[in-house]
Amino acid sequence: MDVIPSTTPDEAVRRSAKRTAELFGAEYLMVTPSVANGSIGVSYRRKAEYEDVKTLPPVLAEKQAQAAAARSKRPKINPQPQGEGSGDRSGASTALVRRGGPPGAGGVAGEDKPKSLIQRPSATRQQPPDWHAPWKLMRVISGHLGWVRSLAVEPNNEWFASGAGDRTIKIWNLATGALRLTLTGHISTVRGLAVSPRHPYLFSCGEDKMVKCWDLETNKVIRHYHGHLSGVYTLALHPRLDLLVTGGRDGVARVWDMRTRSNVHVLSGHSGTVADLKCQEADPQVITGSLDSTVRLWDLAAGKSMGVLTHHKKGVRALATHPREFTFASASTGSIKQWKCPGGEFMQNFEGHNAVINTLSVNEDNVLFSGGDNGSMSFWDWKTGHRFQSFDTMAQPGSLEAEAGIMASTFDRTGLRLITGEADKTIKVWKQDDEATPETHPVTWAPTLGRQRY
Amino acid sequence: MTSIAEGLFKSLPKPKYTGEEEELPQHGPRGPRIVGPGQLDDTQIVLRRTGPPPYGNRAGWRPRAPEDFGDGGAFPEILVAQYPLDMGRKGTQSKSNALAVQVDAEGKVKFDAIARRGHSDDRIVHASFKDLIPLRQRVDMGEISLDRPSEEEVETQMEKTKNALASLVSGAAAAQKPKNVKGASRADPTFVRYTPANQMGDTSRKNDRIMKIVERQQDPMEPPKFKHKKIPRGPPSPPPPIMHSPPRKLTAEDQEAWKIPPPVSNWKNPKGYTVPLDKRLAADGRGLQDVSINDKFAQFAEALFTADRHAREEVRLRAQMQQRLAEKEKAQKEDNLRALAQKAREERTGGRRDSRASRSPSRSRSRSSSAASARSRTPDDEEEGARERDRIRRERRQDAERQLRQSRMGTERRIQTMAREQNRDISEKVALGLAKPTQSSETMWDSRLFNQSSGMSTGFNEDNPYDKPLFAAQDAINSIYRPRAQADFDDEADAEGEMSKLEKSSRFEVLGKAKEGFRGAADAEERSGPVQFEKDTADPFGIDSMIADVTGSGDGGGGGAGQKRYGIQEADTENRGSKRARVAEDD
Repeated sequence: MDVIPSTTPDEAVRRSAKRTAELFGAEYLMVTPSVANGSIGVSYRRKAEYEDVKTLPPVLAEKQAQAAAARSKRPKINPQPQGEGSGDRSGASTALVRRGGPPGAGGVAGEDKPKSLIQRPSATRQQPPDWHAPWKLMRVISGHLGWVRSLAVEPNNEWFASGAGDRTIKIWNLATGALRLTLTGHISTVRGLAVSPRHPYLFSCGEDKMVKCWDLETNKVIRHYHGHLSGVYTLALHPRLDLLVTGGRDGVARVWDMRTRSNVHVLSGHSGTVADLKCQEADPQVITGSLDSTVRLWDLAAGKSMGVLTHHKKGVRALATHPREFTFASASTGSIKQWKCPGGEFMQNFEGHNAVINTLSVNEDNVLFSGGDNGSMSFWDWKTGHRFQSFDTMAQPGSLEAEAGIMASTFDRTGLRLITGEADKTIKVWKQDDEATPETHPVTWAPTLGRQRY
Repeated sequence: MTSIAEGLFKSLPKPKYTGEEEELPQHGPRGPRIVGPGQLDDTQIVLRRTGPPPYGNRAGWRPRAPEDFGDGGAFPEILVAQYPLDMGRKGTQSKSNALAVQVDAEGKVKFDAIARRGHSDDRIVHASFKDLIPLRQRVDMGEISLDRPSEEEVETQMEKTKNALASLVSGAAAAQKPKNVKGASRADPTFVRYTPANQMGDTSRKNDRIMKIVERQQDPMEPPKFKHKKIPRGPPSPPPPIMHSPPRKLTAEDQEAWKIPPPVSNWKNPKGYTVPLDKRLAADGRGLQDVSINDKFAQFAEALFTADRHAREEVRLRAQMQQRLAEKEKAQKEDNLRALAQKAREERTGGRRDSRASRSPSRSRSRSSSAASARSRTPDDEEEGARERDRIRRERRQDAERQLRQSRMGTERRIQTMAREQNRDISEKVALGLAKPTQSSETMWDSRLFNQSSGMSTGFNEDNPYDKPLFAAQDAINSIYRPRAQADFDDEADAEGEMSKLEKSSRFEVLGKAKEGFRGAADAEERSGPVQFEKDTADPFGIDSMIADVTGSGDGGGGGAGQKRYGIQEADTENRGSKRARVAEDD
């Protein structure tokens, strides 16, 4: 308690009032003492406790007015003085009806104010989310004969490749959506694709345990990376080194030297299928998400795991690294979590997508996309975890209702187009609504005050 | 708890000994203390005593060895680092896997030590509640930098990684190079000069020898000698701390949702037997639903039917009407014509036959016309006409007779006559139905095909692929006797001609007394059908008795011959039978 320097009592009272206002709000104890009706205490109680019922609700008031008009015809009864308060009036209902609170005040004003004397630390103050334009469907490309399970966009942003359950890899023009090439060679579903930014190579992996390297100048397979014991579900290229990392149903991630095809490291430690895998240039250089519901961060030089993140309760099916921030997100059924990179510190949850989440993608504008196995799509603000849009994809005509499902997704290099591969055998291209402005599509966000569980 | 400890630590003075930098004097055998004479009374006995000294005697005593603690814990009043049960002592390998409590700089217990055990120090372990709180909401969090690492950092890391991986890759690549294949290269031979030593007092001079030492040639293709043994996995590193709440207990509702009813098959019952078709059809409820056809179908059909009938009736009526009209018109025309003709006739005859002209007009035209023509003929013409009619009548009668004859003729005769009528010459055999074309239905099939199962013995013979003689039928036809189907009584002329021909031809003259007949032929009654044979039971040649002899007497001297003869004999009897038959036929 700081000592108030002795001044005039006036000043002291003012200072005290100011401080009280600061602590407890402007209205606290601010009662105009009405001398007409007794003591200050009564007046305060009237103000504080019966403020809401001072005037009747409009329905009752109307009824009462009618009754009063009827009564006024009879000369015997003289109207009671109105100032007594309407609660004890015999003609009307005796029940006290609370008036609705002032509009817009929410639960913050009046007696709903927290009674605690300490304030929350300012760190918990939630940051309002940025505005993002809503996304809408732009194009549906129907050419595959199976689920489209993998997508990859070329570095020059001219075309993208898709791999599907019909065992083919198709290359599409990104601008027009026209088919440019079909690559056959896999004998089962193609589960992973990557285009190298530093070589004319396309890498693909599939459930047939094969990892192939396609030369895009001749459109032929030039290398096989042989070694996985079961289906290969995901692959990633190292951004700086000539390395290829693949992971699959045998529960290990394998690091391959691109040129010599030798298996440099076998990153073993997961006890379930490696469902997704990301590679980045700084430690942890490899991040794997597995169906044993853990995320592992790997030290690529040593071939050991640096750390294990066990926050997820169900299998981690998707990972996404942010292009500019040193953070990444991981998704398991019903929950998406964001992590800070070198140490894997938990940053926040993206709450609300209650589905089996098959895929995640982030673009540079801090838009995170999550696609669910039941066709639900959610768009999130990366910084705050606010979901600004969510809807269900529609299966193409002629397909079953159950075939609405997002299997793969990627943003193109500009981040302005979202490409999704779906279970209805189509590829859909989404774009941001050009006409949308913060005024037409306001951010519907309210800070959550409740205690949160993580 | 921790805050209390913290406060306590703050209130206490700084510890003199941290235990970290202390060098422990290395004693030889620890444990038993050697108690000096001052502590013991007068005796010169050296007493070994284990455990801590009693209270009051602990000044200057420091517990060092595990025995000093006497199965107990540390002594808090003695301000040195103590390692009861060697817990927490550095540099010593302890068999115990118990961990000493470690505290951090603030004196808080580091509970994650157990999770870090066996891992390197830079291992990322999230073990505290703090790690569950979002980074921005942690109280002690300052500014968080989310920037990607700088280019220099990345460069250094890349260099490190590249070097580490390059060694691995080069090692893997080198192993595959042919230069390193075992036995491909041999070391150069070495030469050793060997001078034998003087042994056993043998001082004679010895020749020193030069030895060439060569590495033994190795087979490069030899499989490796060692056997790859599976080494059991080492103990796993401690599992990472689980940072999520345990899974929710399955509620009854969830359980209900997961209950998948067993499939009920329409085709198999629970025991796996096939359900009969009728039961299956009864069970699937197809018959339970009444097929109700809308009444309007019936109405519609009725309406169609009546409309159709109506239309037909109308058409019929109309046709009738038209026919009647046409008839009427025709009759009118006829009348007109007749009237014209009448008029013309009357004009020509000039009223000579008035009376005849008054005939009824209802007679048919042809009749009247023929009558008119007949009337106009002369008597000469009438005779001519009568003759003509006779001729026609005769022709008709002849036709009828012939048809009657034909109907009573035998088949072959009729066919013959028919063929003759149609100018087709059919040979006798064909007419008899005896000419067998080569592809009759019987010979279409190779009989060998039929009983293949019974093997070679039944019919198929490699030497004789034909199971029947080719012209057997022909022979049979030539030799067979066929009575004419009931002698032709009807055409007398033909029969008479034949009879005379027979009588004229002297067919049986070769046999001499054919005209008179054979002996005994006169006694035989007239035969009306084919010759009938009686089975010849007599044994004129004694063959049967011979067979009985041969078979009955067992294997005698001529047993084989007797059997052989048996086969021939059978053939003979057959031949004879047929001969006899032929003779009889000639009769």
